[in-house]
Amino acid sequence: MTEPRNPGMSSAPQVNPAHAESSSPAVEMDPVEYTLRKRLPRKLPKRRNDVYVNMKTDFRAQLARCQKLLEGGGHREICIHGLGLAINRAINIALQLQTSSQGALQLAANTSTVELVDDLEPEDPDEAGEPMTRTRNNSAIHIKVFYPEP
Amino acid sequence: MKGPAPLRGLSPLFLSLPLNHTDTPPVSICEAAPVPYVSSWRTEPTSQSITEDELGLQGRRPSCRPPPQLQPMPKREGFKKVCRTEEESPCPFPGLPSGVLEMRVKEGSKIRNLMGFAMARMQGEKAGSGEGASSAGLRQVVFTGSGRAVTKTITCAEIMKRKVGCLHQLTKLQYKVVKEVWESDQGGASEMTVHRTVPSISILLSKDPLDPREPGYQPPEALSALWEDKDGAEPAAPTCKRPHVAASHSSFLQPKRLCLGEGVSVLPPH
Repeated sequence: MTEPRNPGMSSAPQVNPAHAESSSPAVEMDPVEYTLRKRLPRKLPKRRNDVYVNMKTDFRAQLARCQKLLEGGGHREICIHGLGLAINRAINIALQLQTSSQGALQLAANTSTVELVDDLEPEDPDEAGEPMTRTRNNSAIHIKVFYPEP
Repeated sequence: MKGPAPLRGLSPLFLSLPLNHTDTPPVSICEAAPVPYVSSWRTEPTSQSITEDELGLQGRRPSCRPPPQLQPMPKREGFKKVCRTEEESPCPFPGLPSGVLEMRVKEGSKIRNLMGFAMARMQGEKAGSGEGASSAGLRQVVFTGSGRAVTKTITCAEIMKRKVGCLHQLTKLQYKVVKEVWESDQGGASEMTVHRTVPSISILLSKDPLDPREPGYQPPEALSALWEDKDGAEPAAPTCKRPHVAASHSSFLQPKRLCLGEGVSVLPPH
């Protein structure tokens, strides 16, 4: 299996046309003949107080969930994680939590890089196309929202 | 944050928007004037530069919508943005020397341009041509960005960490207040000032050690330890409650690894 490594951060399958015409058959990629499937991110830590923010769930629901954990759930700290586009939303949630707590909550943000894997599957199995995978990187944020120790 | 200031002359529907519970932070309007319907600002004939935050944040706004009858009336929306100023927000890193290189990442910035410049300054080799002697390179750099540039800001910092290595990191989040002045097209004296808050991030990367007790500190080489390695090799911890309540930030990483066995597909595919 070939694994052409795509160091770019773009999420779309950027297939360079010049690339496709190149003579080397191993790198040949015709965008028409492949379907791109994005795999899920790798296994993630999941505690009760981990919140993974996405762009599909309603923003208010995610904010309310965090508030509930902090107020009703009795957690002194929660971790809000966001990947890629959801980074913005994660930051927004964290800042709104902090604002609505009148400064009682503190934020500690960490950033990281997550390696993501895309599968390229040939559309037509009769063609010679090999299934391929590509890895790319995306940025992520992990925000610890906590009540500081007195 | 400013609460919604007294709003005069606005439609009652607009007033009833649950501003605090939308994706965008609250907006407070100072001078009363007819409020243009937000999502139709894009259709303005003038190609006045509507920058990142507007398109990004407001595109998502329609979940709480103003009265629809405003939409097909271009006359009402004859507002032009006259100026946009970012209010000075306090430096998130107190005690930072004033000469620190600050990279302001905008939505349209190209990563290769930013990184080309910043890497040259940090490594110091190529800087010799312009400035002369300083061959050691800078010790610290700050990346800041707001709104839709936040992701790019993080990406830049991550790239630099990987390339330079051994960098201490301090991340701070805050709201940034952006003041916009909108003016009516029809020459009327009506003018409107909008204060908008956008989330912003500041990332300090330093070759010198930083205070590890500061919230948001990350030691060098904590490279993606949060998400990677440990491929389910460890027994799943029976209780995933925090094993130790930690005051210091370094233990932030620890409990996560303990629980790696349990987390499966929490995020939907991106």
